Amino acid sequence: MASVNFKNIVKKYNDNLILDNVNLEIKDHEFVVVVGPSGCGKTTLLRLLAGLEEITSGDIEIDNIKVNDLPPSKREIAMVFQDYALYPHMTVRENMSFALKLKRFPKEEIEKRVKEAATILQLEKLLNRMPRQLSGGQRQRVAIGRAIVRKPKVFLFDEPLSNLDAKLREEMRIEIAKLYQNLNSTIVYVTHDQVEAMTLAGRIVVMNKGIVQQNGTPLDVYRKPQNAFVAGFIGSPTMNFLKGKIKFEGDFFYFENNDAKIFLPMFSFPEAEKYSGKEVILGIRPDDIVLDSAKIDHAHKLSAVVEVIELLGHRENIYLKMGEQRILAVGEAFGDLSPNAKAEFSLNYKNIHIFDAITEKRINP
Amino acid sequence: MSSVISSLAEIISFIILIAAAVAAIELYLWSHFKYHNKKLILYSLGIFFSIAFAFVFKLSGFFSVKVFSLFLIWELFLIYASKNLLKGKKYLPYLLAAPAFLGLAALLMYPFIFQVYLSFHDLKLTTIMKWKETGELPFAGIKQYIAVFTVPPLAETGFFKLLWRTLAWTFVNVFFHVLGGFILALMLSEVKAFKGIYRTLLVVPWAMPQVVAVLAMRGEFHSQYGFVNVMIKKALAIFPWLASLGITPVNWLSDYPLLTCVIINIWLGIPFMTVIILGGLQSISKSYYDAASIDGAGYFQKLYYITMPLIKPVLMPAVTLGTVWTFNNINVIYLVTGQAGGTEQADILVSALYKAAFTYNRYSYSAAFAMVIFAILFSISVSYSKFFAEKKEGKT
Repeated sequence: MASVNFKNIVKKYNDNLILDNVNLEIKDHEFVVVVGPSGCGKTTLLRLLAGLEEITSGDIEIDNIKVNDLPPSKREIAMVFQDYALYPHMTVRENMSFALKLKRFPKEEIEKRVKEAATILQLEKLLNRMPRQLSGGQRQRVAIGRAIVRKPKVFLFDEPLSNLDAKLREEMRIEIAKLYQNLNSTIVYVTHDQVEAMTLAGRIVVMNKGIVQQNGTPLDVYRKPQNAFVAGFIGSPTMNFLKGKIKFEGDFFYFENNDAKIFLPMFSFPEAEKYSGKEVILGIRPDDIVLDSAKIDHAHKLSAVVEVIELLGHRENIYLKMGEQRILAVGEAFGDLSPNAKAEFSLNYKNIHIFDAITEKRINP
Repeated sequence: MSSVISSLAEIISFIILIAAAVAAIELYLWSHFKYHNKKLILYSLGIFFSIAFAFVFKLSGFFSVKVFSLFLIWELFLIYASKNLLKGKKYLPYLLAAPAFLGLAALLMYPFIFQVYLSFHDLKLTTIMKWKETGELPFAGIKQYIAVFTVPPLAETGFFKLLWRTLAWTFVNVFFHVLGGFILALMLSEVKAFKGIYRTLLVVPWAMPQVVAVLAMRGEFHSQYGFVNVMIKKALAIFPWLASLGITPVNWLSDYPLLTCVIINIWLGIPFMTVIILGGLQSISKSYYDAASIDGAGYFQKLYYITMPLIKPVLMPAVTLGTVWTFNNINVIYLVTGQAGGTEQADILVSALYKAAFTYNRYSYSAAFAMVIFAILFSISVSYSKFFAEKKEGKT
């Protein structure tokens, strides 16, 4: 097992800047999920680590050894590809033992390791099948098995679940989580699915446009997004954003725009004075919109019209219209609201996110 | 000018004639297919019209019992086919394929049947006049088939020597076609700039009429003015020590005719294989190579473990085709050596067959000879396809 260290990584294709000065430290035994929209450079980062692409500038270290010029096979990494990349002309057994065979391991050792991996992944009965005779989930497990048998220092997963259907994806997610608990190895996992990132990661690295936007625990990234991009990308349903100005009135600070005037208690935005009169973005997650009249802050409640209600079974998405601004709230299923009714709500002040309108950086704690 | 117009008119009338024939066939088949699931009365009507048709033929003096009975059998077959084989299916595809099918039947089946007939009789220069006058040929049984193996088809070279030479010729050619094609395709798949130009250039010798390409190459092997010998002479002038290695200009066409033919045919066949293999290479997903890189495979290991197995399904039909083509390749050998008084040293089975039939005028013997060659090729093809089908089965 090993640590991984990206130092000032820059990657260009011709004049296209794919990765812009990425610095990232991954500790031993850590499960790091790199998440971002497509084209953000996350897969390139993984391929650089695997040695499938060349670094334009910067260093990659595995176990404190610079691997820039090492071929993929010498880096002691294993990779699971998005399309599995199982060799179609080899059986499951041959697929799993291919790397060991190339390294001229003794036959008994290969057999032992394949058996071990097959037991972990419940592939024993499929060892003599061809990849095309397997279902998507089984192929995925073989691809993981192929990685396990090599006992690599670092596991790389490149969007491993994106080719599976929703139900299978959930199952495989649990499998991978279990696998991590068993192997306890260093894993770098790339995905565009923030649910996967939240559920699997020990640490999330959010990327956009070749830049690391935030790097922290899932809760950290969820509760304290460092900028508006992270706030919008992580969390489902998506966070509500309101643009407006900070205004001082009476003894209090308010967030104000054409549609609303929202009270900001001191603890949620201690630096309000500095931003008084300036443009900011206020972000609030749908879960943090309080509709329950027993919990509403009646002194500063807001009102809106219910636009649409989507029933999801255990709860419902309530789209509120406050002037021109649409706000999504999440409530218990079969609440007492109905479309076109007037709704009163307030914000959960503990979880307000305020970003500078220009830099989009977080400005409240 | 008027001759141009008249020949144009001739061409157009010919095209119209073909179109009319096709239309007639389509109409005839359509009328049969369309009513495949209708009542029996329509068939009876069809038969009635057939008889009427035959009657008209009789009046016009074309009638013979043979033609009529053949026609009746065909009609019954067609009714059976359209009632049972086409039932519940769309008949349009069959209708569209029919003219080509009938054309092929006329062009392939009739000569084949006639050849079988010839091979069991005795048609040669001494009997051909009698055959022309009476339409009768002496029956020969399997005498011709025995003669194929015992009497040399050429002046001196016998069947087994030809067979051995043909097999060697086929193997060497196909081997180098695949090898050369593979190497070129690997190189081309790496080339990024001006991809289209290289690929077009590569196909040119293959796309050119073989006669032109072969005759041009034949010129290059001329003992005095050919490119090959000129280059050897120049090389000798610059590096005299080459002579001590035994390198001298050679009379390619008269001393090494088979070798010359092999070289020319290899040169001709490589582009086809290159194009096929290149297509195959491009269909292999890049991620297999990524996975193999991570698994620790080097360039040649990737070639052996990934490229070769994955290119097989594309390569095998091409090799089968190439084998048959090369086995049957008369163009190169005939054009290089086959002129009157040419050597026999380069002859393979098919070129010997051509000479036996049209230089030595032994028609029935040649028909039997052709049947033997056909049997050999047929068994090669069948065993090829069996072999690969089994491999496929075994893997699943």
